[in-house]
Amino acid sequence: MSEQEIREGMLLAVWDEPPLDFDPDTLMRRVEQKKSRRRALVAVGVATAMIAVVSLALPGLLPRDRDGQLGSDGQTNSSAPPTEAYEKKLQRTGDAVAEKLALTMPNLKEVYADFRQGGFSYNMPNMSSAPPSGQPRKSNEPQFTGYLFLTDEIGPTSLRLEGAKIELSTKNFCSGAVTCREVPQKDGSVVTEAEFTDGSPDITHSEVVRSFPSGFHVRIASYSYNPASGSGLRQTVPVRVGVLTTLVTDPKVDWE
Amino acid sequence: MRKADEQGFREFAAANAASLRRTAYLFCGDWHTAEDLMQSSLMKMYMAWKRIKDLDNLIAYARKVLLRTWLDEKRRPWRRAEQRDGELPDAADATSDPDTTSAKLWARELVHTALLQVPPRQRAVLVLRYFEDLSVAEVAVAMGCTEGTVKSQTARGLATLRAIVEKLDSSSGRVAS
Repeated sequence: MSEQEIREGMLLAVWDEPPLDFDPDTLMRRVEQKKSRRRALVAVGVATAMIAVVSLALPGLLPRDRDGQLGSDGQTNSSAPPTEAYEKKLQRTGDAVAEKLALTMPNLKEVYADFRQGGFSYNMPNMSSAPPSGQPRKSNEPQFTGYLFLTDEIGPTSLRLEGAKIELSTKNFCSGAVTCREVPQKDGSVVTEAEFTDGSPDITHSEVVRSFPSGFHVRIASYSYNPASGSGLRQTVPVRVGVLTTLVTDPKVDWE
Repeated sequence: MRKADEQGFREFAAANAASLRRTAYLFCGDWHTAEDLMQSSLMKMYMAWKRIKDLDNLIAYARKVLLRTWLDEKRRPWRRAEQRDGELPDAADATSDPDTTSAKLWARELVHTALLQVPPRQRAVLVLRYFEDLSVAEVAVAMGCTEGTVKSQTARGLATLRAIVEKLDSSSGRVAS
């Protein structure tokens, strides 16, 4: 098959060409429509991209408060949720106190703390959880409650802890105590130790309060029962005031 | 676009649409696809008309666009190719000369069967060289390759085409020349 035959064959191949119905104006109109559609599509794409960029960039541009939450002029929420930063601080405080107790009383096993933000649903004896008179409690004031769990030779029990800016009367606090004394600290805070028998021959309740100059009080109490569960009655307290004072005055623990 | 430019494109499209469709038919072997390819190529040219209207050889540029459009179309994975699995019934044409008709039918078979089995780029070279009568240099410009590539593709394409035609002839009883 020669090149000439191929050439002729190709020419013959188009002999049955169908009639051409071609209008350049229709084609030009289609191009213009396509152009306008493309422009609209680009505009929509650009707008979508801008919205996406703005929505991603806006949180980074807005001012943030100390805890990393977005600041807002209209933020007047009086019952703010617990901040992550304070929860972490409480966790560190609890760990430090538990470590100190384990070091002070090596006979104890499984010592760990569980501190939470906020107050107990009921008040400690001889102590009001109300804020100082005439001063409403602020939502951002530090306040915590919790237990320091431990297991001694008798069994598992716990110590009760509370920290808040409260009004404390030493007279009321020591009411009914067999021993009660105040020990001023170098930093200006005052530690008040008290022990109670509640009519029994042994100590049934030991309690220490450290009062800071700022009005913040930390209170730690040991009972002849497990205050976390209300059960586990025993003859005397698992931890006496000496150890409680060591815990509450440990310089490594940042209570406020 | 200015009216003068529009008029220029209108004249160019009207004058070359048929020729481009024929070339496209030899590329793809189907008149409907050929018309689509021709229209797509002209649309692309219209969109770029401001830039290209002053080119020396506009029809060469149009062939290049047509070839690109066809090769792009072939590369698309979602391209829907017509499935030719049916046999058209033979219909006698009483008005036609039997000898001429036989030659025309053979030519159609050449395109539909033999040329379509040649690889796309080799097929494009053959069509541009032997149907469009372009020189090696012009085909190289249209294909966007070197002249050496055009020559080698032509040789390979011819060899492939001859082999297929020979096979067709032997199966149909026609004597290959």
